[in-house]
Amino acid sequence: MKTITVTVNGTSYEESVPERMLLVDFLRDRLALTGTHVGCTYEGVCGACTVHLDGEAVKSCMMLAVQADGHAVTTVEGLAGADGPGPLQRAFSNSHGLQCGFCTPGILMNMSDFLARHPDPSDEEIRSGLVGNLCRCTGYVHIVRAVREAAREMREGASGVQA
Amino acid sequence: MSAVENSADWLGARLARKEDLRLVTGQGRYLADIVLPGMLHAVFVRSEYAHARITGIDTSEAAAMPGVVAIFTGADFKDTVKPMPQPVVKPNLPARYPTFWPLAIEKVKFHGEPVAVVIARDKYVAEDAAECVYVDYEELPVVRDPEQALAADSPLVHEEDGSNEIFAMTLTGGETPEEQAANAAAVEEIFQRADVVVAERFRCHRTGITPMEPRGVLCDWNDSDGLTAWITTQRPHIDRLALSDLLEIPAEQVRVVAPRDQGGGFGVKAPFYRENLAIAYAAKALRRPVRWVESRYESLMNVGQERDQINDLEIAASKDGKLLAVRNRGVADNGVGTTGVYWGFVMPFLGAVELPNAYTWERGDVSLRCATTNKAALTPSRAFGHFPTRFALERAIDMVAHKLDMEPAELRRRNLVPSLPYTSVTGEYYDSGDFVKVWDNLMAQVDLPAFRAEQARAREEGRYLGIGFACGVELSGVASELLVPMENQPGYGAATVRLDPRGKVYVFGGDAPGGQGHETTTAQVVASLFGIRPSDVVVTTGDTGTTPFGSGSIGARAGSYFVSAVAKACAELKDKITRILAHDLQIEASVQHFEFTNGEIIYLGDAAKRKPFTEVVERIIMFPINLPEDEVGGLEHTAFFEAAKPMICFNADCCIVEVDVESGNFSIKRWVTSEDVGTVINPNIVDGQMHGAIVQGLSNAMFEEFVYDEQGQQMSADFEHYKLATAADVPDIEITYAPTPCPHTPLGTRGIGEGRPSSVPGALSNAVCDALRPWGVEITDLPLRPGSVWQKLREARG
Repeated sequence: MKTITVTVNGTSYEESVPERMLLVDFLRDRLALTGTHVGCTYEGVCGACTVHLDGEAVKSCMMLAVQADGHAVTTVEGLAGADGPGPLQRAFSNSHGLQCGFCTPGILMNMSDFLARHPDPSDEEIRSGLVGNLCRCTGYVHIVRAVREAAREMREGASGVQA
Repeated sequence: MSAVENSADWLGARLARKEDLRLVTGQGRYLADIVLPGMLHAVFVRSEYAHARITGIDTSEAAAMPGVVAIFTGADFKDTVKPMPQPVVKPNLPARYPTFWPLAIEKVKFHGEPVAVVIARDKYVAEDAAECVYVDYEELPVVRDPEQALAADSPLVHEEDGSNEIFAMTLTGGETPEEQAANAAAVEEIFQRADVVVAERFRCHRTGITPMEPRGVLCDWNDSDGLTAWITTQRPHIDRLALSDLLEIPAEQVRVVAPRDQGGGFGVKAPFYRENLAIAYAAKALRRPVRWVESRYESLMNVGQERDQINDLEIAASKDGKLLAVRNRGVADNGVGTTGVYWGFVMPFLGAVELPNAYTWERGDVSLRCATTNKAALTPSRAFGHFPTRFALERAIDMVAHKLDMEPAELRRRNLVPSLPYTSVTGEYYDSGDFVKVWDNLMAQVDLPAFRAEQARAREEGRYLGIGFACGVELSGVASELLVPMENQPGYGAATVRLDPRGKVYVFGGDAPGGQGHETTTAQVVASLFGIRPSDVVVTTGDTGTTPFGSGSIGARAGSYFVSAVAKACAELKDKITRILAHDLQIEASVQHFEFTNGEIIYLGDAAKRKPFTEVVERIIMFPINLPEDEVGGLEHTAFFEAAKPMICFNADCCIVEVDVESGNFSIKRWVTSEDVGTVINPNIVDGQMHGAIVQGLSNAMFEEFVYDEQGQQMSADFEHYKLATAADVPDIEITYAPTPCPHTPLGTRGIGEGRPSSVPGALSNAVCDALRPWGVEITDLPLRPGSVWQKLREARG
């Protein structure tokens, strides 16, 4: 067992964890943050477990909880602002970018990082940015549309054209 | 969200879904998110061999590990749990149903079969302990090839059955052997005189629709309430009956809850699985909650495997392009078959029934044999059963067109069933719609002469473009007429609609969706009928304790059967509401004299006579005095809907590809569709269903493949080896509509989406073959990959 200090969604936690505990299990089983999902055999292919580590998208099934010691983690539960769901989350609903919703938290975490680095992406860039996330329901068409719409709204918001 | 001015317009509105807020904020509640106090974790020990005798199981080391609570093996079940088959999970189809228990007894019959289950306080400990359960095996010859499995000298998977032929059938016109022989002879006669005959062997690989959320079950037992089981399931009411029958727990002591949020089903969550039984048994025996969450590795070894089939298909046609007769001999690789409800062969059965598709054959002769092998049982996957037969037929039709030197699109149009209703040569009933309208709408999206000109220009530049078409008749719900014989279950839809004194509406349904948006579409239907808002409607599904019986979220039942039951229940309630309102207003009027709109009920004879919906509802529920004679208070109604005959929907696909003739690489340039989905409740949701289904079809056709090696080892049990399409692998998709409202449902809706992937592999491979017409390449096998295209080209070039 090892004691770690991790900031998750702005709250600092000091927890004693087995060294072998995966970060995704720490988030789900210890902190009850069940929005982060497991869709593959901890092989990092499905992307449903994607969270932010110090602002960067990572797959929480590919990390141990002890590796997050001293770092800041954001999960999908921490993605909404004080005013409720943010532009990316709203765009996924408005564009019908989700069906069963199981892959959605990981996609939102990956795409929020992606949009921070690519504020005006082409559809091809969006598709390429999504290769680390599997979705079985949507055929990706509405996901691409949602990311495009979110990018537009975030750009317009940032330039003050439209809040 | 588009602005909806009139509440009647909720039907057809592109409404953002009610489900979305919780799902985009991490507040969904899937099975693995449910935790009970004192809950134990289960891990299955699974067979390492495809076929072997179990000579010993040593659990002592595992049992001694701290935190391990119990270990069960097959011996624990042999005398305490009834084996399957049991009537509730056994179709009314004559077959050799294997006998089996939750865990393997004496023999393992596929790689991945559950042999033991470890129950521990911690899931990591349970996994450690499962590694320390030592099973001794004596290997047996592996039955791997379905045709060899049917040979008289083949080793047997289920020795007691005396044969590996689990199921065989013929759909050869007529009920008696004499009638069938006469039809077969008539078909042969057509082939003898036909101008053109195509006869090919088509192979479809083992693949299916793997949902992103694997299976899982959480069972809780107490002596007064009995068993409560949360199961990832499309059919909670069937699971409940099966658990009751097999564990011999009185039915009133079994409640099954399908979590409100399920990470996709696509058929994979429709069977009754042996793991559910094992976990329920463990929870009862230990009097502790026990949960099993399937790993992806287990999932890919056990479920989501379908399609695996060889079809020897023949088509006879006349020189003027008339399709005359179809003959098919199918052999399905059934796998082990130990899966409740479906047994591996129910899917190929329906696939054979659906073979003739939308064309007017004079006669057909279709038969099927299903062979048990040492592989996981076929489990249902969207496009239930007919992915391989539809691929074969749509491919063969292009081959007929090539022989006739005719445009494949034109050959199809000439042979589409010109008017409905129609009964196919295999006896499938097509109730309504307009195939030609759908087809012509597709062709209006694609300028075929312009494409041919562009194709010719491109060829001169050494670029090879191709266009491919296919179409598909799909079931819109499954009528009792088909579902009772096929699965021993009713097809009707059922819904309870309950109003509360605040004018809110609660809908209860016994099916169990997994992402199709039932909460939203149902709310739109209710809102449009009552003239209220979708936000005033709450939809509950999947809990057998609160919902009327439903056969499950299968076969596109929601848009056909469930919402029709909802509409019927709403109509009954509107009748009662207006009877009492007319009495209160002291007018002679009934429901047709009132409009329900924008939260009001308005008397059409005098618009001044109107009342808020909420006020009238509250009056009937809370103040049931001064009522009309024979009337009582309260507003709740359960309605059942069943169409007299099966219903269908219809679609057509066009695919344009470019093929690199040096490497065999191909890329999809355009995918455009035409759909008859009847009256649309929410276009966003229908678009999304089509996108998803088409990409599933592409992913199945190009990437996914379950591979077993010579020893029957499953080689593709992770997503590195079982590749699903990513966003970068697939094109944008254009969905267009040419709908005909269904005359047999109250709202004109059709259930859609289930069968939709089936026309995809035909359209795709037809496009690739069209691009390679200079070499006459004809694809007959799936998957379709650059390597196989390159190989075909090499053969064709000599």
